[in-house]
Amino acid sequence: MKVNRKWLLLFCGLIIVLIVDFPILTVALNSFRTTESILSSHSFLPTEPTLTNYVYISARTHFWTFLLNSMIVAFAASFLGIVLATLAGFALSRYRALILGPYNQALLVVQMFPLILAIIPLFILFRRLNMVNNFVPVILVYTVTQLPFATWMLRSYFDSIPRELDEAARIDGCTPLRGLVQIILPLALPGIVAVAIFSFLFSYNEFFISSVFLRDENRMTVPVGIQSFMQQYSTDWGSLMAAATLGMVPTLILFFFIQKYMMAGATAGAVKG
Amino acid sequence: MPVQVSSTRVNTRRVLKTPTALPIHMLPYLLLLPSLAIILLIEFYPFLTGVSYSLHKGSLLSAGPFVGLDNYARLFRSSSFYNSLWFSFVFAFFNVAISYMLGLALALFLNLEFPGRGFCRVALLVPWIVPAVVSIVSWKWLIADRGGMVNVILSSLGIRPIYFLSQSGWAIVAVIAIKIWRSFPFMMLSLLAQLQVIDRTLYEAGKIDGASNRQLFWYITLPHLKNISIIQAILMVIWSINDFETPFLLTQGGPSNATENLILLSYRYTFGRNDVGLGSSVALLTLVLLMVLATIMMRQQRKTI
Repeated sequence: MKVNRKWLLLFCGLIIVLIVDFPILTVALNSFRTTESILSSHSFLPTEPTLTNYVYISARTHFWTFLLNSMIVAFAASFLGIVLATLAGFALSRYRALILGPYNQALLVVQMFPLILAIIPLFILFRRLNMVNNFVPVILVYTVTQLPFATWMLRSYFDSIPRELDEAARIDGCTPLRGLVQIILPLALPGIVAVAIFSFLFSYNEFFISSVFLRDENRMTVPVGIQSFMQQYSTDWGSLMAAATLGMVPTLILFFFIQKYMMAGATAGAVKG
Repeated sequence: MPVQVSSTRVNTRRVLKTPTALPIHMLPYLLLLPSLAIILLIEFYPFLTGVSYSLHKGSLLSAGPFVGLDNYARLFRSSSFYNSLWFSFVFAFFNVAISYMLGLALALFLNLEFPGRGFCRVALLVPWIVPAVVSIVSWKWLIADRGGMVNVILSSLGIRPIYFLSQSGWAIVAVIAIKIWRSFPFMMLSLLAQLQVIDRTLYEAGKIDGASNRQLFWYITLPHLKNISIIQAILMVIWSINDFETPFLLTQGGPSNATENLILLSYRYTFGRNDVGLGSSVALLTLVLLMVLATIMMRQQRKTI
């Protein structure tokens, strides 16, 4: 009786997963079929799997450039973001009485700030500086967008590291900053890596900001590139789906590594002073 | 162990010798300085400039004359503005309400004990984690006018095809449905995280006192979810109103602006019509709207706890 219930639940779970992930699965499976075959038959599994679409986007499009651009932008933004958020998160954790309230509120405003409001003046500014199609503005905007979440997450990691360690270091003659670098950081490293990957994922997936600033084909990130495919080859479903499938591979790999941390992350915004 | 090693390695002489060592009470502010600097550059500067733009008539190339509140007056007279305000509300309301219900149902399901639930949890997060562009490509294929999976199924049932992206009503439904699909996993995850920290003994005590499952849910589970629910709902309202990607990639605001939210409207005025004044006023009004909504909801939260 009890055993049956378990398997029934598993069965229900798998059905739900299949329904929810159906659109993603279709894209991945259809990417191995030619456009004619996609349009003519509706079988779920490809009958004659082929790599034609992948060969096509490799040879005839800038897909690999998009991927490289995405990696550069996402890496730079998550690196910068994690450095800033580590410093701020440490300050919020250790000196909470002084600054927690006002800074938390500032982060909340950052969290709700409509990006379009930042983009209009920044686009005009960076255009004057001749920096459209340059990664710098995109990296800076991504860094700020991630700050609230990254800072809150890291603060809660630092909170879980006992203050006695800081004090012991101070007695041994360590400045607080040195204590942070040599004692707290190594202990918080798993958390910091997880937050960095979150930031990376966010920047890698983001479309809006990149689409405004990166308009040249050699500068586009993966989402912007796929969107331009959508407009150019609106009828070539095969290539479009191959690009979409390749585009989500990095996301899914990174996601697999940090899914354990997702539970903690999902409630990070809810941690109150 | 590594802690002890590193603390004994510290070179005390060098630390004491540093003449520029700052007073300890300055440190927290110094640590916040880099973050604050970039926030000022990327959000505060644009905010101030945006206020100024909204009071001028200008294009992307050059600032025009000061026109006072004329841009706002034009907005309040235009039907596009009310249309996108309305769509933003409808979009946020249905997204938050339905994502919450789906998220709660699935969180309760994943909180049951069964083999493979870890896999199910990860697999159900996929719609939330894949890039927006990828999900839009897949949905566009599913709901394409002809040859799309949904319409093939409908026609095999003898129902006439639905033109999801070219009829206003259906386009609104499609944009909201896809947004729900992209956001419910976040709700599910945070509710599940909360469910797993509820003290088991509460349920045991309840059962001993003869409470039914329904009563356990009503008097133990729901009250424990209240706090997180309100906070995540606030976040989700903010994200829905700020969403650009879902409507832009799916319909570009069409057909005939039916799925144009405030962000898309501001984008169209600025980059489509080259009217920076009007675009900036829409963007500023969106910020005001979000701050008002967030304040109301947070006050509500404080009241209920």
